Amino acid sequence: MTEEFDDKLDRAARQLATEISPERDLWPDIAAAISTPQRSRWTPMFAQAAAVVLLIGASSFLTYVMVKDDRGPGVIIQPELVFEQASFGGNYHLGPGFQDARNGLRAELDVELDRLSPEARDDIQANLDLIHQAIVDINAVLEEEPDNMRLQQMLLQAYREELTLLRRVGGLTRNVMKRNDI
Amino acid sequence: MKRLTVVLLGTLIALPATADEVDKQIDAAADGHVHVSNIAGEVTIAGWSRNEVAVTGELGRNVEELILERDGDRVTVKVKVPKRSGSGIESDLHIQVPEDSSIDVGTVSADISVTDVGGEQSLNSVSGDIDTEAGENDVSAESVSGDVEVNGQGKDAETRANTVSGDVTLFRVAGIVVAESVSGDSIVDEGSFSRASLNTVNGEIFFHAELRDGGKLQAETVNGDVDIEFDDRVSGRYDIDTFNGDIRNCYGPKAERTSKYTPGWELSFQEGSGNARVTVSTLNGDVSICDE
Repeated sequence: MTEEFDDKLDRAARQLATEISPERDLWPDIAAAISTPQRSRWTPMFAQAAAVVLLIGASSFLTYVMVKDDRGPGVIIQPELVFEQASFGGNYHLGPGFQDARNGLRAELDVELDRLSPEARDDIQANLDLIHQAIVDINAVLEEEPDNMRLQQMLLQAYREELTLLRRVGGLTRNVMKRNDI
Repeated sequence: MKRLTVVLLGTLIALPATADEVDKQIDAAADGHVHVSNIAGEVTIAGWSRNEVAVTGELGRNVEELILERDGDRVTVKVKVPKRSGSGIESDLHIQVPEDSSIDVGTVSADISVTDVGGEQSLNSVSGDIDTEAGENDVSAESVSGDVEVNGQGKDAETRANTVSGDVTLFRVAGIVVAESVSGDSIVDEGSFSRASLNTVNGEIFFHAELRDGGKLQAETVNGDVDIEFDDRVSGRYDIDTFNGDIRNCYGPKAERTSKYTPGWELSFQEGSGNARVTVSTLNGDVSICDE
């Protein structure tokens, strides 16, 4: 039984064609595919990179939105710094560069202040208030005497004191507290 | 008896570990650099004649270890605490260093005290006081909410002292001095200077010392009095003003009103033919300027 089946199978196998020709000549298409430059992979890579950037950006923005209200009072730029026009006797302004530098320093300071004790923060804020009051007072007198050079110098001094204080406190906390050895 | 033993053992196990005594030494270069860091407690440094750094004192019960190591001319003394350290890290260190060493000390709430160290000093603390002796090398001392005091020997050097809410007191230092406080006093007593810069926001300025020929003194405060008394009359240019305060001068012309709208005064004059420069400004405070 088994031998008879094997013989049939052998005969059937021998009848099969030893070579199968394709229905059409495929070589020209293959050659063309080889010689034609492949489609650039940069497009999908660029798209991926863009997607990553978009994802990070969206994530950062979302994180910012979520945490911006939880950063505590120390990080909020004080309103008086925003409304303060950095004026010079009402006739002049110290310019956006000054204001930017000031707000930048203030924002840096607020981050540094978060590391300090509440007493130290209050102390620094009290001193900033003192300087602001001096600026307001000198400005008020300069409204009356806008060409008084001495008052103008005092006003500049007050602004300089404020910047110096912001920079100094920021510098101190950075120097002392960002030492990675303690 | 057995029960009593168990109770005693249990009590001993329950007791917290006590502070560890420390007593370590390491060889050091005669004029090398010693770096010290300790978060809380106290740091006392004294110079001695041996070429060796010795550390004694007590470590807080939660301190991991005291690192004392040398790398070339540099010796490090560091109190290592767990990353999430809390209580039990207060460590009192008494360190002796070669007298010509330069030192660099950082603490958070530990006071720093230095004596007999001849090299440069850089001392930093957040809420600790700093008290040091200055020799003929530069000293920089910064604290955020502590007092800073430097006692010199009248030798020329550059001394910089900063604090936010504390006083700066510099006694018998000389050469160049920069003293800054935000809500404390800046005091320079005795000494001889070619350049002195004193600044406070809400504090008094006190300068009783010599300003050399051609020297420069600048004193500024927003809210505080300025009291200057020169050892000898300074020959040079004076510019003094207040926005809201009086000027009392023992020499030179009388001050004039800054403006009819403010109770401030101004005073500018040349004293003698020298080229020293004295600039004093306070927005809210009185100024007194005299010589002995």
